[in-house]
Amino acid sequence: MLRYDNYFIPKNLDEYFNLLTEVKDYRIVAGCTDVLPWAREGRAGNVFIENIIDITKIEELNIFEIQKDKIKISATTTFQKLFTDPQIRKDIKILPQVSVWFADDQIREQATIGGNIVNASPAGDGCPAFLTLNAQAIIMGRKDKDIYERRVSLDKFILGRNKVDLQGNEILAALEMDNTKGYGASFEKVGHRRSLVISTVCVSCVARTDSSGKLFDDVRVAVAGVREIPCRLEKTEKFLQGKEINEQNILEASVLDLDVINARSRLEYRKEVLQNFIIRAIIKSVSDKIIIKENYFENTKIKKLEEVHA
Amino acid sequence: MHKLTINLEVNGRKINKEVNSHYRLLDFLREDLDLTGSKEGCGAGECGTCSVFVDGKLVKSCLMPVAKASGKKIETVEHQGTPDNLSTLQKAFFLTGASQCGFCIPGMVMAATSTLRNNPKAGIEEIKEEMGGNICRCTGYQKIFDAVELARDVISGKLDPKVLEEYSKPEASYLGANVKRIDAPGKVTGRLKYAADMKMTNMLHMQVFRSSRPHAKIKKLDLSKAKAVSGVEAIVTCDDVPGIDNFGVFIEDQPVLAKERVRYVGEAIAAVAADTLEAAKEAVGKIEIEYEDLPALYDPEEALKDEILVHEHYKTNLVKHIPIRKGNVEEGFAKADLIVEEKFATQPVEHAYLEPMAGLSYVDSDGSLVIVSPSQNITHHRHMMSKIMDLPINKVRFIMSPVGGGFGGKEDMIYQGMLALCAMKTRLPVRYVMTREEDITSTAKRHPSRTNYKIGITKDGKITAVQIKMIADGGAYGCSTEGVMRKAAILGAGPYQIDNLQMDTVGVYTNNTPSGAFRSFGALQTEFATESILDICAEKLKMDPFELRRKNMFVAGDLTHTKQELNSASIGTVLNELESLASWEKGTPNSRGASRKDLNSNDNRDSCFLGARLNEKSEASGGVK
Repeated sequence: MLRYDNYFIPKNLDEYFNLLTEVKDYRIVAGCTDVLPWAREGRAGNVFIENIIDITKIEELNIFEIQKDKIKISATTTFQKLFTDPQIRKDIKILPQVSVWFADDQIREQATIGGNIVNASPAGDGCPAFLTLNAQAIIMGRKDKDIYERRVSLDKFILGRNKVDLQGNEILAALEMDNTKGYGASFEKVGHRRSLVISTVCVSCVARTDSSGKLFDDVRVAVAGVREIPCRLEKTEKFLQGKEINEQNILEASVLDLDVINARSRLEYRKEVLQNFIIRAIIKSVSDKIIIKENYFENTKIKKLEEVHA
Repeated sequence: MHKLTINLEVNGRKINKEVNSHYRLLDFLREDLDLTGSKEGCGAGECGTCSVFVDGKLVKSCLMPVAKASGKKIETVEHQGTPDNLSTLQKAFFLTGASQCGFCIPGMVMAATSTLRNNPKAGIEEIKEEMGGNICRCTGYQKIFDAVELARDVISGKLDPKVLEEYSKPEASYLGANVKRIDAPGKVTGRLKYAADMKMTNMLHMQVFRSSRPHAKIKKLDLSKAKAVSGVEAIVTCDDVPGIDNFGVFIEDQPVLAKERVRYVGEAIAAVAADTLEAAKEAVGKIEIEYEDLPALYDPEEALKDEILVHEHYKTNLVKHIPIRKGNVEEGFAKADLIVEEKFATQPVEHAYLEPMAGLSYVDSDGSLVIVSPSQNITHHRHMMSKIMDLPINKVRFIMSPVGGGFGGKEDMIYQGMLALCAMKTRLPVRYVMTREEDITSTAKRHPSRTNYKIGITKDGKITAVQIKMIADGGAYGCSTEGVMRKAAILGAGPYQIDNLQMDTVGVYTNNTPSGAFRSFGALQTEFATESILDICAEKLKMDPFELRRKNMFVAGDLTHTKQELNSASIGTVLNELESLASWEKGTPNSRGASRKDLNSNDNRDSCFLGARLNEKSEASGGVK
């Protein structure tokens, strides 16, 4: 049971930073969908925190801008917003796709993208999707009386399990990401069931072809669930750059980064799933440009995987 | 307790109220407004029994601090319809029989309402996806989905609303007839009160201090700091039991609260009754204990060596051995063309009823002890309670509250004794509601089992002999182990004619969580082995598995393994139905591989996927599915 004496909902950043200097024992929350299950038996148990500070009503964080090249959205944006917003559904397809796999409709109404990132769970679903959009974390802080802003790319912002690059009174304010209009996208996830499940493996892919539709132009793949920090698959991406879109190239690419897996359990399983997901995610992302020969991957994949293990 | 003032609208009513600042929206609805249609099945956002609308959006109220709800419009299940004026969806749930135990149903009605509000034309995949955050343990979901599709079609005008009244009138038989479930209106509207929904004036809240050790002597139990917590009315231990301190479904070997030693992690040691749940929790946190750890048993086969004893005075860890002997297995095996030997194991299984254990106890004006709980066995509980409390039977009253799913899990009298002690000691009503975690940790599970199986069979598929030995882990206390072993032995060899049978089921004490009653009551563990080995035999004999079973199945007039004459036997009908429903392709299963014809038949469901609402325009460039 989570107990607290005060629940503060600051209206603006000044009020927020003032609060941080006025109260000592506090926890910052947004959607609260992680903190409440955390304060239960088997995890943190009965927890008393004197003050809860809810950042979802800070006016400066009410950001939702979709530009031609970039989008900038508040850290307090809910996943359901990413699922339902018509512009996002049209242009940044990876976002509704990751959202549909994220918890369930009801939790998505509350859970925020910032909370998902700052928690820095190795199994967090949001990060791989944001990584494939080259996300920049926009961080705000106050020094003396001045509010400052700094940016750091999302892959550098996450430092480890439950650890992010926030100093002093800093807050993750927003994400700036690529507008991937014209890109195909796919999010792949497996866990013990369909809704409300923690990823064992998840893969995010966005891809664009050249104007002829025959060559890969820009392919971005990221994974989570298989290592402490989600990451992009650089060798895979580089290999596919400018290559012809065909089964052989996708297969070759799918084995290049399997060594990113650094999980404590079910290593072989994760490896096999990861390769399958990489193949599937790439194919789906360019699925109007390729027709796969029947059973192609079923017949060749295992052999390739064995080569990698050797 | 710190308070905050909130302003909000609940079901159209404006409310300005001071509330406990740490309350979740769910606590506020249930405790302050008595809107108990929203349930707490897990408290962690997993089950959906607490789903409510906040400003028109469905959320899980167990994941929302009440402070967040200030300024918002809340709509609960109580706003959807009343038992005499059901909403279309509620009528559909009523008609299809979607409400069984009913505990998930208010949340399901809310999730279905949300789904159809968001898209009145939602297809079945969309319905499944959008309701994916709500769990039902009874129905297998089909009746719920049927209800939502029916309601959708009535709302859209595709179907005449009269279909919602079309209950069949049973003529010759009630089997297969869609009979009106008289408790459904109360369930689909959230009006039915389960134990945790009940409240009495001056009611206390109970919390339990539990063992963190699998096997230990209690050297010292210090309650002084706990007693000093403001609001604490009583703390009870085994010393407060006035009568004979033992209970159990078959063997009465379990004390209400641990006596001198603990035998499993999660065993109750002391119970606190306080004027608030928060005070009770705080006091439990202040109980101090010193253990002397004892070597513990986790493996039933190890336990059978009796080197360590779970219950010293029994001199053995054997709870019950049930043998069945029929014919002569040696002779039977000698006649067999094929002998197959296999080992099978099953794991402990949690019942996962949506309603966590809960109860309310009070002393009535005539001095009777009253216990209200979702007990599946109240008469037996009453007899045991009379002995434990040293009260004449007419001074003990058990009232069975609606059972929000039991599946056998609510047969054991696990917490009612503690409630009774607190009520008698304080002379005030006392309520206890387990959290999901506490329930999973401390209540009985399905018996984990290990079975050694030997079967002899002729080459034309006739069983000649069967030898089965199952060892089951009964955990720390007897509970239902004896009965479970009996059922496992009686039914385990299956509905087959077996002339020579040797069956042994052995239940054993260990320091694991006690095992208890669970649907099928032991038959599952042994029958799982039987049906599996028959499939193995079918493969080895290159015979169709249905054929193999038909050659051996009971028919009317046969004697069961325990010599009961069967007036009728339905396995033949069941096999025929099953074969047809599965579009079974005749033959040995392992002879077909990937080319099986029955895999893509109309009777098989497509595998699950997500993204039904990511329509063409929003999908990946080439489509997601």
